[in-house]
This record gives sequence, structure tokens and C-alpha cells, in this order.
Amino acid sequence: MTETITIIIDGQDYQVPRGMNLVDAAKMHGVDIPVFCHHPKLEPVGMCRMCLVELGSLAVNRETGQPERDENGQPVVRWFPKLQTACTQEASPGMAVRTDSAAVAQARYNVLEFLLTSHPLDCPICDKGGECPLQELTMAYGPGQSRFIYDDKMHLAKQIPLGDLICLDRERCIQCARCIRFCDEIVGDEVLAFHERGRRLQIITISDPPFDTKFSGNTTDICPVGALTTVDFRFGARPWELDEVASICPHCPVGCNISASTRLDRDFGGRKMIKRIMPRQNEAVNEIWICDKGRFGHHHSRSEERLTQPMIRRDEEWVPITWETAYREIAAQLARHGRESGFLAGASLSNEDLWELRKLARLTHADCSLGVWPATMGGIEQVTQVGVGVGTRLQDLGPDSAILVIASDLDEEAPIWWLQVKQAADRGAKVVAANGRATKLDQYATVALRYPYGEAVAALNSFAVIARRSNAIDEAFVAARAEGFAEFDASLKGARVPKPYAEAAQALLGAKDLVVFVGGEGVTLAQHGELMQAAANLLILTGHAGRANNGLIPVWPGANMQGALDMGFGPQATHDLIAQRPAMWIIAEADPVAEDARMAEVLVGAEFVALATQFMTPTAEKAHVLLPVQSFAEREGTFTNGLRRVQRFYMAQTPLEGTLPAWKVFAHISSSMPGGAKPRIAPGLVMRDITQHVLRYAEMSYPNLAHVEPQFPLVGGEDMYYGGTAYSNHGGLGVQWATNAEKEKYSLAVRPVDVARPRLDGLAVVPVRLLYDREPLFAPSSIMHQRVPAPYVELNVRDAEALGIAEGDAVMLTADDVQMAAEARVNSHAPAGTVLVPQRLGATPIPATLVECVVQKMEG
Amino acid sequence: MLAEKHAERIEKIFAKYPDKRSGVMALLYLAQEEYGWLSEEVLREVAELCDIDPTQVRSIAGFYTMYSEKPKGKFWLQVCTDLPCALRGADEFFSGLCAYLGLGERGGTTEDGLFTVEPVMCLAACDKAPMLQCNFHYHENLDLEKVKMLVEQWRAEAGQGDGAVG
Ligand code: SF4
Ligand code: SF4
Ligand code: FES
Ligand code: FES
Repeated sequence: MTETITIIIDGQDYQVPRGMNLVDAAKMHGVDIPVFCHHPKLEPVGMCRMCLVELGSLAVNRETGQPERDENGQPVVRWFPKLQTACTQEASPGMAVRTDSAAVAQARYNVLEFLLTSHPLDCPICDKGGECPLQELTMAYGPGQSRFIYDDKMHLAKQIPLGDLICLDRERCIQCARCIRFCDEIVGDEVLAFHERGRRLQIITISDPPFDTKFSGNTTDICPVGALTTVDFRFGARPWELDEVASICPHCPVGCNISASTRLDRDFGGRKMIKRIMPRQNEAVNEIWICDKGRFGHHHSRSEERLTQPMIRRDEEWVPITWETAYREIAAQLARHGRESGFLAGASLSNEDLWELRKLARLTHADCSLGVWPATMGGIEQVTQVGVGVGTRLQDLGPDSAILVIASDLDEEAPIWWLQVKQAADRGAKVVAANGRATKLDQYATVALRYPYGEAVAALNSFAVIARRSNAIDEAFVAARAEGFAEFDASLKGARVPKPYAEAAQALLGAKDLVVFVGGEGVTLAQHGELMQAAANLLILTGHAGRANNGLIPVWPGANMQGALDMGFGPQATHDLIAQRPAMWIIAEADPVAEDARMAEVLVGAEFVALATQFMTPTAEKAHVLLPVQSFAEREGTFTNGLRRVQRFYMAQTPLEGTLPAWKVFAHISSSMPGGAKPRIAPGLVMRDITQHVLRYAEMSYPNLAHVEPQFPLVGGEDMYYGGTAYSNHGGLGVQWATNAEKEKYSLAVRPVDVARPRLDGLAVVPVRLLYDREPLFAPSSIMHQRVPAPYVELNVRDAEALGIAEGDAVMLTADDVQMAAEARVNSHAPAGTVLVPQRLGATPIPATLVECVVQKMEG
Repeated sequence: MLAEKHAERIEKIFAKYPDKRSGVMALLYLAQEEYGWLSEEVLREVAELCDIDPTQVRSIAGFYTMYSEKPKGKFWLQVCTDLPCALRGADEFFSGLCAYLGLGERGGTTEDGLFTVEPVMCLAACDKAPMLQCNFHYHENLDLEKVKMLVEQWRAEAGQGDGAVG
């Protein structure tokens, strides 16, 4: 803990942490020091001079060492003759500050007058108007009139697209460099910079593509003026017309807290519509940031392509039916097929949807298979044991921490986690980035470990071997909690560990905190369980379990995979179903036909397929009944993120007419079945059912999930000038469920893992995930289309040469039953012997992990 | 391409710094020497050499006035017109030079592409005003006659004119 010291602000004593930035320290106690360039998440630069204060220190009598007192017994302060910038001061004992003197008021007045000399003052048409720090601070401290000649204002370009997402107005820029510093310090994408100097100073980008970062939208939140605006929201609405609704991003397992800014809108038939997505502060999740997919990927909720009518297939024609007919038809089919039915849940269903689907399945037969989609990652047992501790905040990882990221390209799969790991590395955390190929994390990693695809389990297991050999085992923890240690220990003996693995392991050992991110890249489902266990073994062995900032974080595919697993759905069940080929399927918010070549045939062979979906996907084309369900924006519910935090989202947008929330649809089908109960009337009540049946969700009642408490730094509200326009959290911080490691009564299983490496002959396919793809919930956001590449495969130079394939060639990739056309990228990125195939870029499925394939150049 | 043509010099530059990005300014000089000015294409080339984003390179090129992002004449004449020089007649000197080269009041580039004249801030040779720098070489204690001679000399160097003041 940092030491608490006393400083004096405006004659009052305040307790603050030693070394805290003075502006932040004052803010903590409700004393506003206005700022433009300072931002609590950025390093101070002292560029704008808005934060000038009088600064002094208590005079100390040199002989006695006691503070000097004046004749009234008041401590004597020695003031600096000139004003100082508060944002470049660190709180130190005996510091005295005056923020309320005439000199300070004059300084603020002058700085504002200066900033306004060339400001266009086009607030009436500026997107920032109404939530603009420059406006607010001018009203509070600035001059009412300008002494400068209007015609002498500097004129600069007002509509510069910085890439396809962000628009720059050069006249409005006050040169605070917050946007540049965000890109440089926080993200590490140095794609914005100043050009020229003095009055001509301008923001530029010439990266390729321009403003090339996944986090560009955040600069518009922290820009203290309307210089940076998003193309999505530009001239879309005035901030004061907007109604903020708390929500959760549906695109990845980070579960960023977002705020949907909504209003009744002409463009949406006078209904309530999302005008923009903003970050909502949750310092334990996304802090005050979101990625561009989360910010701009909300258009699917209003897409013209959305289905709004239940339909049944009759003679190869879709015929509209009523919901009632749909429920009865499905209930009848379920009754007919009984245990011959399979259930498949996508990763973007809410916990309430999943629960009702599970209830429906249980009505049909007590042990119906509950599959998840995608079925690529397992390991819920290990998460249950040693998932990252309750209270974990990735932003707290620092010099004492170690982080291992294995089999994941975090930057593409969970951008905000990537950001937090990168920042932890900047703070001195040891980071090991282990994968079969280079990823963006490598440049920040202490060790970038390359293993041959297929060998992830062996690589991770060797970390345990090294821990054992270098006496890095937490004996006390193992003795108290581990189960199966002797057998496991025996398996480690004599294992041969290649030097790079040993070096990587050494980098992680000995840290106070250890977090392990496990993804699924290049790992088959069978191996994945072993990989998760290898991670659990390491964490248990070294005692990094059962406390905050320690444990396992699975990089699930999808926003609510954790919830699906918690509700009893699983990947093995999916594979069993595909093997069993049940006669009837109920599939919800998943598009297996587009992703797995076997699925088209499996579903064609089925007698009845009901699909709850928002879009006419390839899977929908194989279904018999379509149930148009609602997007995350149109209803209430909860998602559970990869840190097992259950979080609420609220109804932000008027639902499209004809659609229903999935949970309600399943509940109605249940009630049409013999023994089915009446549907609950609200998702909160469904959650109440969950709390009563799913032990780990016992605490997850809606009121608990909606609990908020003050967070620092302050954002939103009156404090826009300070933290930016991210919203403060009124919707709930969510609740993490505790793992077994956190409960003394459970022992934690370690066991030998199967390190066998699949034999790879010829070229092996490694599917990889891209953030910007064509999955149904993202494809409708046309604003992002320029960022989504055409289908491509990456080949190693050596393999390409042997095959006579050159960069840019059109190729055909053939494997088992898959044929996909793509553009070849030839580089050293793909390891020899493998083809990297991004998922969901095209309409055809891609082969599964580590499947052998043939790549041929297409003629003509 | 710089990398091929000046491989040795580039290597020397990089050898001086702990990381590649620190070599950016030296490389920009090299590039300017080679191409005469720093087009966006050239900035990208330097960025690639230093392994940084081209935006960073452009920012540096824009900050320092000794880099030029616009084409310049073969002889780039920067005339100091800052206060101390102005006190010694730099203004008249500047306009005289412009007139001699047939340029407007604010300088510019001659039609034959031989000369660019521009006013600049203090070049730290205030005691030897009026002065100018030609392709970064100082010429001090000038007057109009002297500079005309210099101009003709440069013309002759470029193979145009006989070196005599016309
Ligand atoms: S664009 Fe905005 S954030 Fe960037 S320097 Fe200008 S005022 Fe600051
Ligand atoms: S990081 Fe993930 S959860 Fe957060 S905004 Fe991006 S896609 Fe959404
Ligand atoms: S100088 Fe302190 S906030 Fe800008
Ligand atoms: S003022 Fe001209 S060189 Fe200094």
C-alpha cells in the first residue's frame, strides 16, 4: 500500500496517497482543478496550462524540525512566486495548494482566452456541443468575450477523415495531445502525431490504413473538444437529447460495459434507437475503454436483414406463421422425437436464454445433449477450480506480476484484454506470449515463445516441470489444497524440456501474481481440455490460485461462452451430437453450417430443425422453422464474461416488431409441452430461477448485479473534462462467481496431462480468429467493412515456393470435405507446414484445427 | 532506394544508436540529400528502415524546418529575417535577392527549378548579418552585390550561365 500523507488544499487538510498526481488527488476529494491535457489514465505532459495553481510547502524550522507557525499559530507556507501546473506535481508531505485565489482565476481566464483566439466556436453544429470540456470550462472560468479579431482566426481543414471511422476538425483542436498520447502510451499504435508547430500544429496520420488501430474510437471520448468525432455519430444527435442505457458488448469474452446513447429517432420510425455506443466505466473490466468493434458493431440490431416473422418451410417455401403455431409445432416435434433431439446454443445467448433452453431440453428428456457453438474450447472444470480470483483487476498487474498468454492472438480475440496485458508489460509485468506464430503481443512480451502447432500442451506442461526443478512450488499451498500431487509429480520426473520452454517458464516463476490466458488457436478440442489442465496444474503447483489477480482466464470464442458452460452446455456434447445425428435439432443464435462443413449434411439429414436467429444465415437455410429473436440491444439479460463476471444489460432499443427475446420463445415452447410451466414474465424472474438452481449463480439476482459503487477516476457526469465522455456506471458492476480455489473446503485436482502431439502430415490447417470478420452480428455494420479482408490464407514462404504459389495468387484450399477459395498471403508469419485460415471471412466453412489440407493455385 | 544505394551509410547511422527508431533524423537528412525533398513516399521508405509508423516520420519532418516536404530548387536559400538580422538590413537584402531571381515578395522557387528562396528565423549568426544558408552551408556578412555573385557562381555550377553577374 502506498503511504497516506497530508496535503493542504485551499486551507484544508486532505489525506492522499503519496506520489499521486495532484490533480487526481484533489479530484479524489471533490476539489476540481480544471484540465485539458491531463487525463487520469495518461502520463502528465503539462501542455495546456489550464491546471495552474498556487503551490507552496509548509515552512519547517531547521533547528527544531517542526513546522513554523505565524503569530496566530497557523502554519507558515512558502509559496512559489509563480503559478505551477498541478498536473505535473506529485502529492508530497507538506504540500500546500491554492486553487481559489485571484491569481489562479486570472490564469484560467487567460488560458481560455488564448485557446479561444483561434477556436471556430461552431458549437451549434459541433457533435461535442453539450458535453464539451472546452465549452464547460469556458462557461465556468473563461471570458465572455474575445478581444481578438474574428477575421484573424486561423483557418484549417474541417473535415479530414482519419481513416474510415474518425473525422478530424483541425480548427477545433486545442493541441492537448490526449489522442496522440492515448495511441502511443496506452495502445502502442503510434499512428497519430503532430505535424508542424506553433499555431500551425496539426494532427496527422499516414499509417496504412490511416489511423490504424483497433481502439480509435476512444480518442473521441477523451478529446476535450469536438476535433475528433466518429463517422458513426457525426451529426447524428445532440448529446442532451440522448437517453443512456447500460449494456454489455456482445462481441467478445471481455464483456466491456457499454452505454447505448439512444433517442426516439426519425430514421427508426420514431422508435427508440441506438445512436452511438460509448464505454461505461468498470475498472475491473474495461476501465473506460472499448474497442472499435464494440463501438461501431451495433448496426446488426437494426439491420434491414433482420428476421421479424416466425416462418415454417413448406415445399421449399418459407411460409409465415404465428408464434403460437411455431410453439405448438416445435412442442409437437419435441414430443415426437423425445430423446432423439439435440440442442445447440450459440455464444451470444444471454444466461436467461440459455436457462430456458436448458429447461426445455430437460422437459424433453433428462439427459438430452446440450451443445455449445462454437465447440472449440473446453475446460470448464479447470475454470471452476482455478479461474482468476474474485476481485481481479487486470489494471493492477504490474512489476510483481507475470502473465502467460498461450494459444491465443489476444489482440484479435479480446482486444481490451490485450490492451491491459500490454499495459501491464509497460508497468513491468513479465509477459510470456506463447503461440505457434508471432502475434502482436510479442513486441511487448518478456519472452515470445514459439512452439510447433500441436505442441501447446507439451509446452505448457514443461512450465510445471521447470517449476518443479527450480523449487518454485508453493509447498504449503500444494500440501493444503492439491489433490493427486504424487501421481502428477511422478509424471514430471525425467521429462525433457527444450531450452526455449525452460527460459519462458523461468520468466514467469517467482512473481507474486500469475495470470494465465488460455485460447484455442491450433488446439483441437481433445487437446484443449489437456491444455486447460496443464494451466491449472501450473497455477496450483505455484500457489497462484484462489486470490485476486491470480488464476486462469479462458479466451472463449464469443461473449457468453462462460454463461453457456455455466448453464450446463458444453463442447463435447456438440461433438457427440454431430456423431449421433439426432432427428431433431433446436439451434439458437449459432450458425454452424457456415462454420463446419459437416453441419450442412447433418442438418439436411435431420427431420426437423428449429432455429432461433436474427438473420437468414446458411444454417437458417437448412432449418424447418425460424424463430426471429431479439438482439442484445432490444431486451434485458445477463452475460458472463471470461473473468466469470455476470453482468446485466438493459433494453436500449425498441424491439423490431415481430421479434421476441429467445428466453421467452423457449419458455413458451416449454409451456406448450406436457409438464411445462407457465412462462416467466420477465428475465429477472428467470434469473431468480437460475439463482435457485445453479449454485454458482446463487448471488446473481438482478438487484445484486445492478449494484454500483464509486470508482476512480471519475468519469461522465459533470466531470467530462477530467476523464472524458465515457459514462459512469449506473447499470451495475456485475458479480464474479467464486472458484473452488477460493473456498477452503475444496481440494484442487492436479493430474498428468496427455502431451502427445498429433501427427501432422503435409500442410495442416490452423484456423485463426480475426476481430473484424463477417459473422452475422458484425457483418451488418457496414461502417467497418473496409476493415474486413476478403477471404485469405497465410502460407509460409517455403511451402508456397514448393507449391508455386505467390503472394496475392488465387488459391483453392481442399481438406476432407471442405473446399474454399481464397487469396494467398505468403510470409514468414505462418510456420512451415501450416496454413493459417481466418475464420468467418467468407461464406464457406473452413476446415477444423490441424486437419490436413491441400492448397492449389487456381488457374486464370 | 536508399537501402540499396546507401547501405553503408545507413549501417553507420544505425550503429550509433541503441535502436533503429533513433536513426530517423539522420536518415531523413540522408533521404533529403538523395531526393532533394521528402515526399510521402520517401517518408514511408525511411519509416520502413527505422521500423516505425510513417506518421511518426512525417511528424518529425514537419517539426524541423530543415526538412522539406515540398520540392525545392537545387539551391535552397534560407535567408534569416529575424530581428537582429533585420536591424542590419535583412529585409531589403531578402527582397533584393528575390527581385534578382525574379521571385515575388515572399520568395519561392524559380521557374528553372534552380533556386528556392525563403525567409527563416534566427540561424544563430546574428553578428554576421545579413546571412543566408544555401543547402545548409552558411554565407555570412552578405550584401546584395555579394549574393548576386554567389547566385551566378551557383548557376555556373549547375551548368547554366557563365558565372558573371548579369
Ligand atoms: S484532436 Fe482533440 S485530443 Fe487530439 S490534440 Fe486535438 S484537442 Fe487534443
Ligand atoms: S473488447 Fe470485446 S467486449 Fe470489449 S468492446 Fe471490443 S469486442 Fe466488445
Ligand atoms: S498543463 Fe496541466 S492539465 Fe494541461
Ligand atoms: S537573427 Fe538572423 S541569425 Fe540570428
